[in-house]
Amino acid sequence: MMRFSGLCSAIVLVVVSGLAQAGQEGWALFDKVQHAVKQYNFDTSFVVLKGGNADTYRWIHGVKGQQEIEHLIPLDTSGVDILRRDALVYYLLTDKPAFVTRGNSIPELPALLFEDKAVITELYNAVAGSSSVMSGRSAQLLRLTAKEGGRYHYWLWLDAETGFPLRIDTLSAQQNALERWLVTHMQISAEFPDTLQALLVAELPQPPAVAGHTVPQTAHQLTWLPQGFRQIAEPADLPQLADSLLSYWLLSDGLHQVSVFVQDSNRLPTQAFRDGATTIYVQTGEQLEITVIGPVSIEIARQLAAAVR
Amino acid sequence: MSSEHQDWLSAASDNQQLTAQQLDSLLQDTELQHKLERYHTIGAVLRREPQSALTINFADDFAARLADEPQYQLQSNRGLVRRIKTGLSYAANGRWLQPVAQGAIAAGVALMAVFGVQQYQQSPQQDSLSPLPLLQTQPVAGFATPVSLSQTTVGDRFAEQEQQAMLEQQKRLQALLNAHRQQVRVMEQAQQASHDVKDNNGTANDGQ
Repeated sequence: MMRFSGLCSAIVLVVVSGLAQAGQEGWALFDKVQHAVKQYNFDTSFVVLKGGNADTYRWIHGVKGQQEIEHLIPLDTSGVDILRRDALVYYLLTDKPAFVTRGNSIPELPALLFEDKAVITELYNAVAGSSSVMSGRSAQLLRLTAKEGGRYHYWLWLDAETGFPLRIDTLSAQQNALERWLVTHMQISAEFPDTLQALLVAELPQPPAVAGHTVPQTAHQLTWLPQGFRQIAEPADLPQLADSLLSYWLLSDGLHQVSVFVQDSNRLPTQAFRDGATTIYVQTGEQLEITVIGPVSIEIARQLAAAVR
Repeated sequence: MSSEHQDWLSAASDNQQLTAQQLDSLLQDTELQHKLERYHTIGAVLRREPQSALTINFADDFAARLADEPQYQLQSNRGLVRRIKTGLSYAANGRWLQPVAQGAIAAGVALMAVFGVQQYQQSPQQDSLSPLPLLQTQPVAGFATPVSLSQTTVGDRFAEQEQQAMLEQQKRLQALLNAHRQQVRVMEQAQQASHDVKDNNGTANDGQ
């Protein structure tokens, strides 16, 4: 009996330590990918596949001394060039002066490549997967599995040599692929990219002073938040929607952002749409129409819409 | 006398009434009978009546002709069908039909494969990539549809209204989606601030 229980505990120990090691290996891979996109000089192209749509971008990144710069160029006709120099992000519009925000990453790039590891570890388990060959390079799979149901999972394939992300799949809780981020070309070099040289020293507008605007007083309340989400205290002003918008909230779990908009009812049927991993849920009532937009499941969006009082 | 005879005979040929005496003389006198026949023939010719081809004994002629007809050996159709069948089965085993038959089978399999693959491809896509109607995320260009002066039916107008409502809805959702993206873009600083607040709260809670 003693021997049997001893054997059992030994097996459990081996399994647990194996799992723990897989987790550690997973987080080590995660560190590697975050390091790669922050520290290397690279010139890469990627596509974002959403259903039948494909958007193509070029992404150039350089580090010179203490300065970091990256440039994201949409290769489709629509969209704007985005430039980040250290903690300032510039949206380079053609007919208007550049729109400037503060941020340590470009929000149009996959957020999990840049988000604080502490935030990610709260939400996800990391497991190193198998190796495969992708675009002629050896790729290592890293699975980020959500700790709570309703949150999307991520599967990352990293270049085994450099740790650079080659592919990121966003999967629903049912493991269906919703969106795919796929590198089509990648060049990592020791030298600072020439194309960024001019942009590094270019004169660019200063960000507007952060006005301590107060939270708009609204007639409605959001009575429920999904697990891990919190309300952002000072969401941006939306002057273009000031007439139609009755209330709005911005929620974040550190990695995903969800907006809830309240408008007068248009008496259209309750509908749900999906743009890649982004769910757009419109709930129409007698007087109010509530729209939830964000990378959450339709069930979460429905619960959020129902929580507006 | 003869002219007198001719008179009543001619009248008789025109369906005039005969006296009993005249009838007796007609029945007795064969010459009169022949004359009446001639008058009838003349009348028929004058009235352009076709002379009857049928004689009194035509039925006897008909029977005689039938008896002369040769007998045909009539067989059932089964024989013919069987002959075609045997011909075909012989051909199917023959060299010339084998490649044709194989080709037909291969085409059938290919068709099944095509349908099967299409269905196989459709179902996961419907499940995963587009379980819902896809929203056009690019701004929809060309909203202004030219106003037509041509007559439209009520159905057309309903369809137009529906389309208009859909465009309106899409436009509104597009505006909200843009607003959401704008929020996310400028959120970092606000989030940073709330992080600090949260951290402070966290340490305060830990302290308690």
